[in-house]
Amino acid sequence: MDPRYIRNFSIIAHIDHGKSTLADRFLEITGALQPREMEAQVLDAMDLERERGITIKAHPVRLNYTAADGSAYVLNLIDTPGHVDFGYEVTRSLAACEGALLLVDASQGVEAQTLANAYLAVDHNLEIVPVINKIDLPGAQPDECRRQIHDVIGLDGDSAMLTSAKEGTGTREVLEAVIERIHPPQGQPDAPLKALVFDSWYDAYRGVVIVVRVIDGSLRKGVKIRLMATGQDYEVDELGVFSPKASPVDELGVGEVGFVVANIKRVADARIGDTMTETARPTPEPFPGFKELKPMVFAGLYPVEGHQYPELREALEKLRLNDASFFYEPETSAALGFGFRCGFLGLLHMEIVQERLEREFNVDLITTAPGVLYRVATTDGEVIEIDSPAKLPDAGRITRIEEPVISATILTPAEHVGAVLQLCQEKRGVQKKLEFMKSDRVLVTYEMPFNEVVLDFYDRLKTVSRGYASLDYHVVGYWESPLVKMDILVNGEPVDALSVIVHRDAAYERGRTLATKMRELIPRQMFEVAIQAAIGNRVIARESVKALRKNVLAKCYGGDITRKRKLLEKQKEGKRRMKRVGRVEIPQEAFLAVLKVGAE
Amino acid sequence: MSLGLYLHVPFCTSICNYCNFNRGLFDQEVKGRYVDALAEEIRVAGDGSPADTIFFGGGTPSLLDPPEVARLIARCRSGFDVPLDAEVTLEANPETLTLERLTGFREAGVTRLSVGVQSLQDGELHRLGRLHSAAKAREALAAARRAGFGNVSLDLMMWLPKQTVADWMTSVDEAAALGPDHLSLYLLELYPNAPLRDEMARRQWSLAPDDDAAEMYLMALERLDRAGYRQYEISNVARPGCEARHNLKYWSDGEWLGFGCGAHSTRRGVRWKNRSATEEYIAAVRGGGPLRTEERHLTAEERLEEALFTGLRLTAGVDRTAFALRYGVDPWERYGEALEPFVDQGLLVHGEGHVRLTREGMLLSHEIMVVFIGRAVR
Repeated sequence: MDPRYIRNFSIIAHIDHGKSTLADRFLEITGALQPREMEAQVLDAMDLERERGITIKAHPVRLNYTAADGSAYVLNLIDTPGHVDFGYEVTRSLAACEGALLLVDASQGVEAQTLANAYLAVDHNLEIVPVINKIDLPGAQPDECRRQIHDVIGLDGDSAMLTSAKEGTGTREVLEAVIERIHPPQGQPDAPLKALVFDSWYDAYRGVVIVVRVIDGSLRKGVKIRLMATGQDYEVDELGVFSPKASPVDELGVGEVGFVVANIKRVADARIGDTMTETARPTPEPFPGFKELKPMVFAGLYPVEGHQYPELREALEKLRLNDASFFYEPETSAALGFGFRCGFLGLLHMEIVQERLEREFNVDLITTAPGVLYRVATTDGEVIEIDSPAKLPDAGRITRIEEPVISATILTPAEHVGAVLQLCQEKRGVQKKLEFMKSDRVLVTYEMPFNEVVLDFYDRLKTVSRGYASLDYHVVGYWESPLVKMDILVNGEPVDALSVIVHRDAAYERGRTLATKMRELIPRQMFEVAIQAAIGNRVIARESVKALRKNVLAKCYGGDITRKRKLLEKQKEGKRRMKRVGRVEIPQEAFLAVLKVGAE
Repeated sequence: MSLGLYLHVPFCTSICNYCNFNRGLFDQEVKGRYVDALAEEIRVAGDGSPADTIFFGGGTPSLLDPPEVARLIARCRSGFDVPLDAEVTLEANPETLTLERLTGFREAGVTRLSVGVQSLQDGELHRLGRLHSAAKAREALAAARRAGFGNVSLDLMMWLPKQTVADWMTSVDEAAALGPDHLSLYLLELYPNAPLRDEMARRQWSLAPDDDAAEMYLMALERLDRAGYRQYEISNVARPGCEARHNLKYWSDGEWLGFGCGAHSTRRGVRWKNRSATEEYIAAVRGGGPLRTEERHLTAEERLEEALFTGLRLTAGVDRTAFALRYGVDPWERYGEALEPFVDQGLLVHGEGHVRLTREGMLLSHEIMVVFIGRAVR
């Protein structure tokens, strides 16, 4: 196919700014789907995505569009994930495009994520077409948005298109702008095959489905291909495009986007960002920028019912098949029994995995407090990576602990900037930039410990800014920090699942809050229960749950012994669902509550 | 072993906001048909077995007229082998008792009166929605004595809305001063949808802290000890020899037959319950469908478990030798390990002859008895 009639573009937008709705309109206009086939937001295929209104996986869709000038074009819409956890996937998706629509909600204006992704797009030399959406809303301020696009992002606000994707206004004009303003792909049709892998997933029937953008050369069925990160060779069994349903093609040439099935068993073998080439005639240089995704956030996942452990393991295996960035290994907790230490790209990724496990695999979970990956230097001169408080060596063996640091970009209305700065300071942030933009917006850049984001930073930011501040971040490195492991002891026994790694200065406050919370959640038992927060041998907070004195069924219901038995059975069942540490019975909510501490 | 006979009377003149028993509003016409049905059920069940207690429970059995009570007792006597000195108890509410009616009940063959006094503080009675006053309760008790009742029990409830430990002890003292032969002390148990809950929320009545409830229980029992009453079960004290023989059957692995709607029976290892709804019950007795609704054939294991968790309600506890003879296993050998922590905490005592709960243990009996629950029902 002649690359001059191809346009590859993506839509970058903040969550809820209407990306999926706009994509749906495109499908409708180009006749890719009949209206009766339209299920709201077709592209977000997973239930979870539709429910949360977010895009987790990038899906390319091929649109056949006859432009106003009468020529037939192929427009490849490459959808991008809408969350900071999947930032790397965003960069790979953008790398597959020549242009991007920058979607801004007419009533919300430019948000931090819009900004971050716009910069990413600029970095990739993409042609950016600003689109102001939701102009039908009563609160729409298109002129204000134009000003922000100019002042905050630095693009020409006057060139912004105005749309209401919901009502279909202005959407055809946007497609015309895609053709006029975005460059066609350029590549060498005769050069060795070079294709960028920008998505892959596992299909139970076909194995791994890889989505590629051909840069140079061409891809044909039956050809032997090589994935350059692993050096593994495969034969192409199936080639096709999504329009949006999968339909086979014989060839994918320069600039084209499509999928490849090649008898690959694990998504881990077809990593996003990898380069696909021809085995017989490999390209001398792979597409730059490949990196292996490493999990950043770690937590323990335990089945509520111990006997569900094998089911949990099986479910994790299946998830891992389709998600190379997710990691797990067996872990044992004295309090929670057998479970898994799991690694995620971020908190949203963690929530998604949790929800999928509970929903698709029917396993009830207890999740321990999430933490980040620390680097610990020991007296032996070793440097080890610590993904769990339990793995932290004794304080005496530690010479240094480093924690991951993020660069956080926050965009806030000027009136909240004081509160935002105060919060960043409290979270041990170091200010890097403070820029008062026109349009009454302030761009704040901080470096701060990633762990604070994992704890509660985002919720707090929303609270102090009444929901107006937006956040984007990426990990930039590590810095040394006076971190300590804080244990929670129940009647003198440490409850491993409740241990956390905290900054020394925050430990006292956190320990007190946690101990108080535990006192509220642990029911009175037959004896007094002492709850302590401790660093090493030093107790920093203590609380106690007084002994239970009364639990008696006084009344006799005319000889109804069966009722008494049933009540005792209920009591027993209640106890069975609690976790025992020593003699103390701890309800599951207590473990969940640790996740919330700090958020209040 | 003699049977106990329980006769359920599901009528009340008003519905108390805390009560979850099987009862409905009094209706003269229904009552007539109901008493006929009861008499018929007893007639059919009568097999001449020995039965040494009869218990009219409710509801408010004292809403029956003395001739009706007489007729039902007579029916029991003709269907079963009831000795002359049988214990015949009638539960009664103070507002239903006049000297005349009391005399009638006495003549009908009632030997023991159990009066639902609940409290001797008018404020507390009012909050519970009871129809009587403290004065009326006192009057009723005096009248019962005058009518010749030598065995009178009264019920008291503790941990009532707004009740303090001092309030409670005043009721206990006043109750003891009335000189009943037997007292039942119950902790208020608010079932999930009790109207009293709503009322408490609306009027901001609160309950004393849990620990105070425990104090109420322990202090009352001590006070009654000194007044010459002996505790024999978690919630019951009596002058020596005046223990409720009928209720003892429930706790000492006995057998009883329950007649009337919603009545529970236990015999030969089977527990069952009659239909609860009054009209359905009447229809069932007249031949319109099955009378029993829930029937549970106890396994050997369940019999053993239930003998333990009921037996431990008695201050005498479970007789290890008798138990071993009956169930082939010594309870301490079987459960000793699980029970040991309770012994250490002074909640349970075990000696050569018995396993029993202390008073502190009784207060926590619902925690302790879980040990005996093996398998779930259904």
